[in-house]
This record gives sequence, structure tokens and C-alpha cells, in this order.
Amino acid sequence: MNLSRTLAVTKRVFRDVKNDKRTIGLIFIAPIFAMFVFGLAFSGNVEDVTTIIVNHDQGFTLPNGVNLSLSNKIISNLNTSVMNLEFMDSEDAAVQKVTDGKAYAVIIFPENFTQTAYTSLNPTISSNSSNSGTAITIKDDESVVNIKNAILGNVADAVTTTMQNLGLNPPVKVNSDPVYGQNAQFIDFIVPGIMAFIVYLLTTLLTLLAFVGERTTGTLERLLSTPIQESEMVGGYAVAFGSIGTIQALLVLLVGILVFKITVLGNVFLAFAVVALLAIVSQALGILLSNLAKREGQAVQFVPFIILPVFLLSGVFWPIQAIPLWLRPLSYLVPPTYAVDACRSIFLKGWGLSKIWPDILALILFAALFLILATWSLKIRKD
Amino acid sequence: MGNKLKNQEHLIQTSSLTKKFGDFTAIDNLSLNIQKGEVYGLLGPNGAGKTTTIRLLCGLIKYSSGEAFLLGKKVPDSKIAPKIGYMPQETALYEGLSVKQNLEFYGEIFGLKKEKINERISELLKFIDLEKWKEQLVGNLSGGMKHRVSLACTLIHEPEILFLDEPTVGVDPELRVSFWDYFNNLKENGITILITTHYMDEAKHCDRIGFMKSGRLIAEGKPDEILKISSTTSLEDAFLKFSREEEL
Repeated sequence: MNLSRTLAVTKRVFRDVKNDKRTIGLIFIAPIFAMFVFGLAFSGNVEDVTTIIVNHDQGFTLPNGVNLSLSNKIISNLNTSVMNLEFMDSEDAAVQKVTDGKAYAVIIFPENFTQTAYTSLNPTISSNSSNSGTAITIKDDESVVNIKNAILGNVADAVTTTMQNLGLNPPVKVNSDPVYGQNAQFIDFIVPGIMAFIVYLLTTLLTLLAFVGERTTGTLERLLSTPIQESEMVGGYAVAFGSIGTIQALLVLLVGILVFKITVLGNVFLAFAVVALLAIVSQALGILLSNLAKREGQAVQFVPFIILPVFLLSGVFWPIQAIPLWLRPLSYLVPPTYAVDACRSIFLKGWGLSKIWPDILALILFAALFLILATWSLKIRKD
Repeated sequence: MGNKLKNQEHLIQTSSLTKKFGDFTAIDNLSLNIQKGEVYGLLGPNGAGKTTTIRLLCGLIKYSSGEAFLLGKKVPDSKIAPKIGYMPQETALYEGLSVKQNLEFYGEIFGLKKEKINERISELLKFIDLEKWKEQLVGNLSGGMKHRVSLACTLIHEPEILFLDEPTVGVDPELRVSFWDYFNNLKENGITILITTHYMDEAKHCDRIGFMKSGRLIAEGKPDEILKISSTTSLEDAFLKFSREEEL
């Protein structure tokens, strides 16, 4: 392999990009735009959920003469930025509002709620009223999982806080003491994924289009008649798109850090190296796919096949553990899976090379395989 | 055969060159001997195998049987590529690069030194008369200008053999005339040219022509010889006559 010919190809690709404002836009604006879109969409918490309280609890006068309403204390501990509280007397009318889509949930406190709760904790106190139970009933619209989780979580938190304030400690408790990811938000989880996904998508697409261009305009024919080797062409593209991919990763990361204040515990340069490797795999994939397209219009038809498997399988938006078991082996066949895992470990856990080397090794193997295949795909034209 | 093929004056030589794509025979027992400094025209209708012949000689596809030699070296040989220039049928330029950048790129691919590249670029821009356009993106040029730039890219490394695949298709009559001036100029500098065309009127500019049909060479000779043998007045008529005889 001749280095100066390889770098001549790299320089040519850079000049092509530099002379074309639209490509520059795609390369540099798209990652920033995508990061903003995903960041804003995924960093927001659930807010303003209309919730109706139906409180049948009358409160209870303790033996020391203090009047206590456990239900009112719990209500006052509900997070009102998550929930917009409304109060109604009729359970049926309240549920009707959920049915009509005017509210998401009805929280029902039964009659004698305070009394029943208190007496069950203090069995010595006799009670002559009927036991209506201590269960808070939530009748809600569970069609939106995020909202459902926010409502249930909010009520559970309010109950726990109220019990603690009253000095009523439940006998069994769960303590969370994170090893990694203390205070991590969903945005911290998603940024490494977005970074790998954007670089994968844009690099594959740009190389695919560039190479279909080389084929249709005849420049590939002309080049192959010169002393250049197929491997030098593929290598030249790899250097160019590896560099461009790293710059894109830098842009995504800058927006993540400056605008969304994401957690970065590890070495960002290691993350860039991971992304550069992914870009090299992706450009080789683009060259391979260009074999199957006769025109640029056909190349565009590959876009769903480029995006969807990676979107679904590589753990960009949800963890691989959430993918059905029978599909999971496929996750390990899409290269971005390793880049996403490595970047996430670097950012959120601060892991270094000593721990993420299996991901890097997998990417290097993919890169070697795809580069060889891409070179071979240019050579078989000679038969 | 060995003796014949060692003839150093024959820069392009093929013997019984055959190329099959599956069952289809694209090139059928083609034997060519083209001398140094000769302008040789391959003529024939579309699909006669002209382009395939050039692609075989440039090492872009493998031949099925027979032999091909360029500069006395058997094709394929990595020593051949630096000494040949191939101008494909398509303009084969990077439209997003300027005229100068395209020339620079091919110069770098051929491993020329920076000063040499600059020297060649000014020579070639003068040659194709596009000095004023050197900073323009190729995508903004007219079709005829692109053809001229394409020729310049083929010449950047001063090749000894030129393969020109239908260089005058889609070129206006005026430019076709100046193209032939370019080719004659190159010939005077000792460059050997194999050119394909289906414009019979252009063939008179060639030292020798070969008629191709269905992958076979059906007649070969100097243009006036061909006219004499076929007792016709135009190469077009001559081709039709040979073509009919071939079918019989």
C-alpha cells in the first residue's frame, strides 16, 4: 500500500466536501441538530398531568385530642409540578373525566382511611367504625407508560415521605446506593447512543453516495486504470471518513456537555477513538453497499436497511436487555452496538481501556473484515 | 509466436484475445498489432466490443483466453499502469472539484512531484485552452469543456499509450475538429493512440483503422487501402460491405 496515493484519495474527499456547502451542512449541522432534537425530546420530565383527588377520608381524632388526616398529609406531599391536582367528591364523575380524556388519573382515599391506618399500627386502640381499608385506589389512563410511571411513582413517594414525617417507619425498606450512575438522567444514557448512531448513519450514507457517484461518473474506472490499488482507495476513504466521524462525535459531545450538562466521567479521547473506529466500519459498509446500487436513487432505497436494524438492535435508545431474547444475538452482529456500549461505559462509569477492550476488539475485527470485503468488492469487478 | 510478440516497435499487441461474459462472446479471437506513434481507430457499431477491448487492455477486466501485451509486458502488469492513459466514455471527473484540483488529484495518484504537477497543469491547460477556467468547479463547465478536462486528466503523467473510448461522442463539430488537432499533436510527440469511434468520417484521421463487428475484427488497414479493397468511396459504405460479406 502506497501512503501518498492513499492520502491523495483522502485529500480529494476532503476537497469534495469542502467545495459542497450542502455536504458540509449535512456533516456538521446534522449532528448538532440531531443532538438538540433528541436532547430536548428525551431530557424533559413528565409534567402537568391532570389528576383528580376523591377524598372520602374524614380524618381521625387521636386519643391525645389532635385531629389527624393522613390523606391530606399525603396529598400535600404530592409533587405538583408532575401533577395538576383537582378535587372532586363524586368518584363516578371523576372517572368519567378520565374516560373523556380530560384527566389522566383519579386518586381515591377510602372512608376512614386515617382511622384504619392508625388503628392497624396501634392495635391497642379500639375502633367502632367499619373498616374500609387502607388502600389508596388509583384509576388511571395507563396507555402512556411514562405518565403512568410518573403518577404511580409520585403517589408512592408521597406516601413514603408522609410516613417518615410521622415517624412511622415501615419494617422493611429498600435502600438504593448506586455504584455507577448516581443522579444519571435519561439524557446521560442517550447521548453516547446518539453519538454513535449519528456517526454510523451519516458516514455510511455519505460513503454510499460518494461511491455510487464514483461508479456512475466513471471516475472509478479511470482510477482503476491508474497505478492505484483498490486497498489504497478504500484506505483513503477510511482516513477521510474516520476524521470526519471524529469531528461529528466532538460536535455531539459539545452540545451534550454545554447544553444538556451530561455526565462525562471517563476519557473523551478514548470515546473519540471508538467513534473513529465505528466510522471506518461504516464507510467500508457504504462502499460494500454501493456495489448493489446502479444509481443514487437506488442507494437512497437502502436507507431503511441502514437505519432500522441499528436503531432497534444496537442499544441506542433502549438497553439490549429490553430486546427480546431471540433477537439479542443479532445485536452483536451490528457494529454500533459495541460503540454505544463502549461510549456509555466511558461517559457514565468512567471506564478505561482495561475494561472496554472487548468492545474495541470487536470494532477492530469488524473494521478489518469490512475493509477487506470492501477492497474485494472493488477487485471482483475485474472478472 | 514468442518472436513476433517481442517486437519492441509494437506497443499494443494482442493475439487471439477472447472475452466471454457467460455464454456471450464479447471479444472473439482479436489480434492487433499497433506500432509506436500510430493512431489506430477501432470502428464499429454499438456493442461491437470496442469498449470491452479497451477495458481488457487497461486491465479493468480479465480476458478469458489469448494474450495481450502493452509495451512488451503481458497484461496485467503493475508496471504498465504508469505508462498508459485511459479516457473513459463518461467524462469521469469529480464535479465537486475545480479543474485544477482534478488534474492535481490524478497527478498525485501517478506519484508526480508537486513541481512536476504544477508544470504539467499549466502545459495542459494551455493545450486544452482552459487556462481561465482552472479555478472553476468542473460541475459548472459545459459538456465540451468537461471533455477537454477529461483528456487533460488522461495526459497528466505523460503516458506512452493513450486509450480513448469514444472521445468525440456528444461533442460539437467544432470541438471534434480541435480534438483531432490535439490527437495529431500528441502523435507527433511519439504517443501511440488507440481510439474508438462510431463516426466513420472521423476515421480518415487515423493512420490505420480496424472494423469490429460482434467482437471480431472484420477488416483492417489504412483508410485509403480500405476504400481501394472494398472499391467504395466512403468508409461507411466500406464497413457495410465488409459487414455483409462477414455474414455470408
